[in-house]
Amino acid sequence: MTRLRNLITAKLAERGHRSVSDTDSLFTSGRLDSMAAVEVMMMLEAEFGIDLSDADFDISMLDTIRDLEALLDQRKAA
Amino acid sequence: MSLADQPAPVSVIAPVRRIAELRAAWLEMDRNAAAIQFAASRRGGLMIGLAVVVLLAASLQVSLPNLALAAIVITGVVLVPARRMEIVTAASVLFFVARPFRIEQWRTLTDAKALGLGFDGDLVRAAGALAFLAFAASFLALQRHASESLANRRPLLSLIMVWLALFLGALAIPSGSGWSLALWTMTGVWVSSLWMLAYAAMDQRAARPSVPAYARAAMARPFWGGGAEGIGKSWGYLAKFDAKTPDDLGVTRLKALKLAVWAVLLTGLWQACAWAFRDQLGLHDIDTAVLAHAAGQGGGLVHAWASLVTSYLIDLIIIAVWGHLIVAVVRMLGWRIPRNTRNPLASRTLAEFWNRYFFYFKEMLVDFFFYPAFQRWFKTNPKLRIAFATFCAAGAGNLMFHVMRETHVFASVSLEDGLMQFRSALFYSLMLALGLMISQWRGVKLSPDMGFWRWHVWPRVTVFAFFCLLKIFDDLTGIGTFEERARFALSLTGVFP
Repeated sequence: MTRLRNLITAKLAERGHRSVSDTDSLFTSGRLDSMAAVEVMMMLEAEFGIDLSDADFDISMLDTIRDLEALLDQRKAA
Repeated sequence: MSLADQPAPVSVIAPVRRIAELRAAWLEMDRNAAAIQFAASRRGGLMIGLAVVVLLAASLQVSLPNLALAAIVITGVVLVPARRMEIVTAASVLFFVARPFRIEQWRTLTDAKALGLGFDGDLVRAAGALAFLAFAASFLALQRHASESLANRRPLLSLIMVWLALFLGALAIPSGSGWSLALWTMTGVWVSSLWMLAYAAMDQRAARPSVPAYARAAMARPFWGGGAEGIGKSWGYLAKFDAKTPDDLGVTRLKALKLAVWAVLLTGLWQACAWAFRDQLGLHDIDTAVLAHAAGQGGGLVHAWASLVTSYLIDLIIIAVWGHLIVAVVRMLGWRIPRNTRNPLASRTLAEFWNRYFFYFKEMLVDFFFYPAFQRWFKTNPKLRIAFATFCAAGAGNLMFHVMRETHVFASVSLEDGLMQFRSALFYSLMLALGLMISQWRGVKLSPDMGFWRWHVWPRVTVFAFFCLLKIFDDLTGIGTFEERARFALSLTGVFP
């Protein structure tokens, strides 16, 4: 999660945003664009083995740092 | 007169300084504790709401009935905030029944067909809107209760398939019959709201938040208007930006007021630009410039370039005004959603421009085309995966959205002629997708260390030039054929006549 958090912080900084709280929207608010979302998704796939091709998946499930933590916790529990 | 007799410079500077202080206070008011407290109060909400409605009127972009509806909703939500969902839902149903289409051409078509059969066009459209709402509520109920249904697994695909069946039915039925009127009306209603209904379905699937199906269905055409791409997306999206404390609400209302004022100032700029560029300098909009060039009456290279650039600047201002007004109304209701347009000229990359120019259209393409394609295709090849997803969104999705919206043309021309009309749009979508793909492939990392020219100027000039030139082909009307537009574009090089 630390690496994921660092990636998000770096992407926010590249776009001139300061760090956000764990519950602030990252993607649907426009703070981060689809290319940043792609990098997050690729990290989730490569490092955590999460399959994003599930029909029920949508980007709002990854929209905050808390959402991402919940997704990773779900993955660990499974 | 000696220097001592002259007025002190401070007397000249003072008013300027005062104006600067007022401007700073205005811009900072959503951080001013007293202003926030006032804005959060009922009286403050009513006064700011009234100011926003006056500003909507001053923008000259909102019709009187819509103005009245906005005033009633804002007042109702300020007075009875606990009933916000019901108020917005009721207003949206009313708005949908009165204006089910997003573009006027559908209204013209159904009016003509209704008149020929002796029906009242308004009643036919209202019936179409109610039928769609009934379908939408049933669709969402089916999705909720049948998790394996196509409606739940692929909501957008299901809705597009229904639309396609309606459209093909409308094409097949002889013109002049009641069925023809009914099918064309439903085709128009469908294409105006299916994207928002798809958002509602996705939102329901995520079950965030718990909202009744009737309220979700009403969001297929929220009362604040806008295009079919949908500013505000869904109840779930709005909930992300809901003011959670009185202070949050105060800030959100003040931001609504600031945005509405900015929209009115931009309206003034738009009128001033139109007066200066069109009336005084005799420059054309893009369509007129293309037609004049095709007729051999172009005003030369400088005139063509000046027409293109000024026309594009005016278009940017218009879209900003339109989006700001809608977002201001949504914010006035307590949802601090992002702006639709946010300083697009500051963009350093093509993708950033899209994010800043028309945020909710970009969002719609990314949500419905980019992410689904990215999740499913070319997962072992990252570059191809991103390129294909980009093509699906900026190319295929973009073209599909616009062609579907304009299918009313097929009621009056043959399929072949109708398709020919969209050649410019096809070229536009392909070039946009290609531009974005190349931009992503290159992956140039810009940084302030690159110097003023390479950080501040060059990237912005190239991004502006790309979209400005592309704008020549941003046409769905067929006024100015693809060949005429291509010849006009080539003439801008100075090499071709």
